[in-house]
Amino acid sequence: MSSLFGTMSVALQSLLVQQGALEVVANNLANVNTPGYSREVPILEESPPILSGNTMVGTGVTLQSVQSVRDNVLNLRIDQETSRQSSLNSYLGAMNQVQALFNETQGTGLQTDLSNFFNSFESLATDPTSSSLRQATLIAGQDLAGAFSQTSQNLATIQQGLNQSVVQTVQQVNQLTAQVANLNQQIQEVSNSRDDPGALDDQRDQALQSLSNLIDTAVIYSNDGTVSVTTTNGTLLVSGNQSDALTTQINSATGMNDVYAQGTDITSGIAGGQLQGLISARDDSVPSTQSSLDNLAASLISAVNQQQKDGFDLTGSQGADFFTPPTPSASGSNAGAAATMTVALTNPDQVAASSDGTQGDNRNATAMADLQNASIVSGQTAGEYYSNLIDQVGNNVSNATSEQEAVGLVLQQLTNQQSSISGVSLDEEAANLITHQQAYEAAARVINVVDELTSATIDMFTPS
Amino acid sequence: MGIRVNPDVYTIILDGLQTNKQQQDQVLQQIASGQKLNSPSDDPAAVASLVGLRMQSSSDSQYLQNIASLTGSLNVAGSALSSVVEALTTAQTLGVEGANGTVNSQNRQALAQQIQGIQQEILGLANTSYNGQYLFAGTATTTQPYVADASSASGVTYHGNDSTNSVEISQGQAMPINLPGSQLFSNAATNVFKSLQDLYNALTTNGDVASATTEVQNALNYVSTQQTFYGNSVDLLNNAQTFLTQQQTQLTENESSTLDADMATVVTNLSQAKATQQALLDAGGNISQLDLFDYLPTT
Repeated sequence: MSSLFGTMSVALQSLLVQQGALEVVANNLANVNTPGYSREVPILEESPPILSGNTMVGTGVTLQSVQSVRDNVLNLRIDQETSRQSSLNSYLGAMNQVQALFNETQGTGLQTDLSNFFNSFESLATDPTSSSLRQATLIAGQDLAGAFSQTSQNLATIQQGLNQSVVQTVQQVNQLTAQVANLNQQIQEVSNSRDDPGALDDQRDQALQSLSNLIDTAVIYSNDGTVSVTTTNGTLLVSGNQSDALTTQINSATGMNDVYAQGTDITSGIAGGQLQGLISARDDSVPSTQSSLDNLAASLISAVNQQQKDGFDLTGSQGADFFTPPTPSASGSNAGAAATMTVALTNPDQVAASSDGTQGDNRNATAMADLQNASIVSGQTAGEYYSNLIDQVGNNVSNATSEQEAVGLVLQQLTNQQSSISGVSLDEEAANLITHQQAYEAAARVINVVDELTSATIDMFTPS
Repeated sequence: MGIRVNPDVYTIILDGLQTNKQQQDQVLQQIASGQKLNSPSDDPAAVASLVGLRMQSSSDSQYLQNIASLTGSLNVAGSALSSVVEALTTAQTLGVEGANGTVNSQNRQALAQQIQGIQQEILGLANTSYNGQYLFAGTATTTQPYVADASSASGVTYHGNDSTNSVEISQGQAMPINLPGSQLFSNAATNVFKSLQDLYNALTTNGDVASATTEVQNALNYVSTQQTFYGNSVDLLNNAQTFLTQQQTQLTENESSTLDADMATVVTNLSQAKATQQALLDAGGNISQLDLFDYLPTT
């Protein structure tokens, strides 16, 4: 048999539950502009009915839990794309600096100095004994050598900057993985107490997204509420409440910091995030540009010096090296040729304009000028080789830029999708507010009615 | 229930505005620089091709400079040769006069004196220099080519060499810029100095003036034909100059079409971007500021 007090208790329970639901609405409204916040919904459940005589009677409502609305798969996709985007961003940051060194559209680069150098010999051919024209070839040579060495040093500076960023990024990765491990522990504790760790989840989502900005991550959600984080190549970063810090170690061959996980070099295995972009520019694109520059410098030096040797200077002696020959670090290596390029000749008389020792002979000067059209480097002329270098650098940037735009669009779409699942809608919250308010009022009314009924019952026995 | 939509419409507008801003930046950069390409990544192949165009254009400028500086020395050499031809013509006339049987030996001495003067004149002309360079010394341009030498049959000795210098006046086209004195004035078959010396000797010693005069005549004919070299060279230079100037114009045009922005297109792009921006801003401003809360009783 149901009782008035039973009804009272159902109504009271309802008051509490509606109040809880209103709290959820209030929390959602409070966080409407909080980045990374996932809206929460109250999960209401009817209390188990009891058998009252022959009938089952409901015993009201309980607030089973408060759940945040999130799509973990979507979040993973967002993390992946974020990872790609930051990789491209950091790569482009560096490569934009590189292409600025070869920006022929603004007249920056080696073309003018290359042309001036060859032209100075073409000019010398018209008057091979002129000391001012001889001086001009030395100056043009110094300008050319200076341009090569400046460009090469700028590339080295960019590479050094990238290396420092790699070390800093690794430190940031370690901070974030420690944070995720810490949050894992807190979430596990809260989950054990059967509360919804929504706020902690949000924090962890944010940390994971920041992490995927830095390095490629694969996240596995466990039943205990914790996540394991590895790189996509399987290097463990976080497991439960433990994080494995990455370290950096200087590679003696390159002078650059390699990234290590538990004693293993994972530098080339990093497949996303800022770290990958930095490493790809530092270990691949910048060195390849540097090496093209070195090849060009070494070939020019060797061709010009050879032509000098084939000729005679103003004193009738065999031509000496025009440029200081580079000292190769290893046999066949041109490394450092551009950085160390300098003119060896000190006296304009030493320029070998003559091919037979006669002062007025100009044939060697002409031959020197003709090197401009000779295939002296990898079967190409200096100009062609330099064009290819620009094409290469330009393509590095333009390909990464198009990819960046594409990833940006995908990311926009995914974020939009995420927001449509997890974002707080004011309309929705207003509707919930009304619904729960009315339910609260109804429950209060029930208490009022029960109160009146109880009074009436009591009044039955009161003598009037 | 329908699909839940993203409640935050402003991010969409913001993304749009951001993309739009990038487009406008790019267009403004094009307007500011007047160039449609502003870094290699804008069009790697086109920027790479600039290098070739500019290197060739720069070479052409150099060739044009070469032509300008060569024209001077060729003209000087040419007019020196003309003077030699004139002097030889005079010598030949004197020889014909001297060969005439009616001329007495005193007159012949006088003629010989004149021939000696001509010898001096031609010696000076053969040693013509331009910018400190001897023009008829072969490539030994710092050595005076002809020195008077009484012990020599021709009265002079040659200290130059037999070589010629060539200078490129356009890509792959080298032009010889001098003729050595050993070819012009003192080659084995025709020797200007020897012919004059012979005429002088014939006049002073009552020798065979007629055959000596023929010798001078031959030298005169020979030098006249050689003279055309300098005329032809100047013509060649003029032709090359015309060609190079045309080529440079073409190269500049190519460079310009590769690099320069078409202002009409750029300005159209800018107005399009501005229109899009305006539309986005209007849309942003027109998004309903209302939500359900505005309709709740405010008791």
